[in-house]
Amino acid sequence: MEPLLSLQIAEPRRIYQPGDELECECQIDAVEAHEIQAVETSVLWYTEGKGDEDLGVHYFARRVPSDSEDRDLRPMHRFTTTLPNSPLSYSGKIVKVRWCARVRLFLKKGKELYLEQPFTLGNVATAQDAPS
Amino acid sequence: MARTFRLWQKKRGGRRTGSRLAGSVGEAVFFGILFLLGAISLTAVITSQAMNPTPEIYRPGFGFWLMVLVMASFALIGGSGVVWTAVCAGTSAERRSALVKHATGMELISDAMPTSLEFPNVPRDTFLTNSPGVKLKYRLPTEQSNIWRLGLSALIFLVSTGVTSVLIVIVVNEYLAGTTDWFLTLFTVPLIVVNMWAVRYFFSELRSQTRFGPTCIEISNHPLHPNSECEIFVSQAGRLSLKSLVLSLVCEEEATYSQGTDIRTETRVVSRQEVLRQESTRIEDGAPLECHGTLAVPERVMHSMQSGHNAIRWKLTIVGKSERSGTMRRSFPVIVYPAVPQQQNDASHGR
Repeated sequence: MEPLLSLQIAEPRRIYQPGDELECECQIDAVEAHEIQAVETSVLWYTEGKGDEDLGVHYFARRVPSDSEDRDLRPMHRFTTTLPNSPLSYSGKIVKVRWCARVRLFLKKGKELYLEQPFTLGNVATAQDAPS
Repeated sequence: MARTFRLWQKKRGGRRTGSRLAGSVGEAVFFGILFLLGAISLTAVITSQAMNPTPEIYRPGFGFWLMVLVMASFALIGGSGVVWTAVCAGTSAERRSALVKHATGMELISDAMPTSLEFPNVPRDTFLTNSPGVKLKYRLPTEQSNIWRLGLSALIFLVSTGVTSVLIVIVVNEYLAGTTDWFLTLFTVPLIVVNMWAVRYFFSELRSQTRFGPTCIEISNHPLHPNSECEIFVSQAGRLSLKSLVLSLVCEEEATYSQGTDIRTETRVVSRQEVLRQESTRIEDGAPLECHGTLAVPERVMHSMQSGHNAIRWKLTIVGKSERSGTMRRSFPVIVYPAVPQQQNDASHGR
């Protein structure tokens, strides 16, 4: 059975402004504690569209079993970060900027799983083709 | 993720359709073999010289030293490749990006970075605000791409004219002496055609650069912000009749992508807003056309952005249509910063 990853963003509407605090909760299930090698949580933006993908990490934390008192990384873990001024979420014609919170699980067998939850930063309008 | 091994896979930019593990192993094996080949050969070459010295091979040339250089570069490239593959295989993309971010956060490096820590991925505007204006606060620099094209065309024109002239003189002399070299003559003919094209291209570039006088744009405030206004001043010199002169604020997206072994860049205009327009105007020598106006940045627009392969660029473009001289098109980059939320704005003013 595949391990279960859960990631929740506190704000139900998932729309944030620069300087707002993003609060997330992540939890792991259906896997033994000793099988987990590390858990990485991050808040990042990435680009979509015609160009090659760019990625920028705003918040990053890596936890290994020794970071936890009972060496168990499965219980619910909460993390918060203050969102930056840029880049804002954007849906352009050939360039798109997406923000997400991501949790990545590394198992001792070398397997790797991740889950991400998108959110919107800022209030930028969708781009339209301009008349030439 | 691919379930089965496939010999041929597609690579789409930084993404692959095949197994990442198989790709990483393949890369590591390739660089490992390169490293071993370089290291073993280099050791063999140096050891053989140490055991049986032959001083004459140390002279500069294509023997011993070339061998050492090639083998050392194999070892260096292979070793670096193995280390880089190991680093990439053991870490996630987020972790690598976080390491880069940590490095750029260091004070010495962050000052040299093209974007500030306060507004990540928004280009700095230092090169746009270092020239004071006469009427308004800043004089904007123009994009230099046309000057480079003129310089390149001048270089091609000079080289091709020089080579062709020398060949024509040799061919004519041989013809007059009655010892015509038909191979050289046939070789010179296509060169003359190429030179004619180079002459025509150079003069058309020169004409397009000089037929319109210099354009000067000054602005009262920079950087710009969405839903804000500032004053703008435009001056167009020259001696010409214009059907129209239009200044627009333009936003374009730029995406760079790999296609096979090529790297291509595509741009798309997503916002164009007219700022100033002058119809049927005559410009005389010593009396440039001068216009004042208000530049309004629309609400909820995307800010300027620069990342590795993608960019959002804002610029002021001026397009002049002349009665006789065709069309002039010049661009002046500007930076649009994100709208700062009110509470942050108040806090920074309070500091």
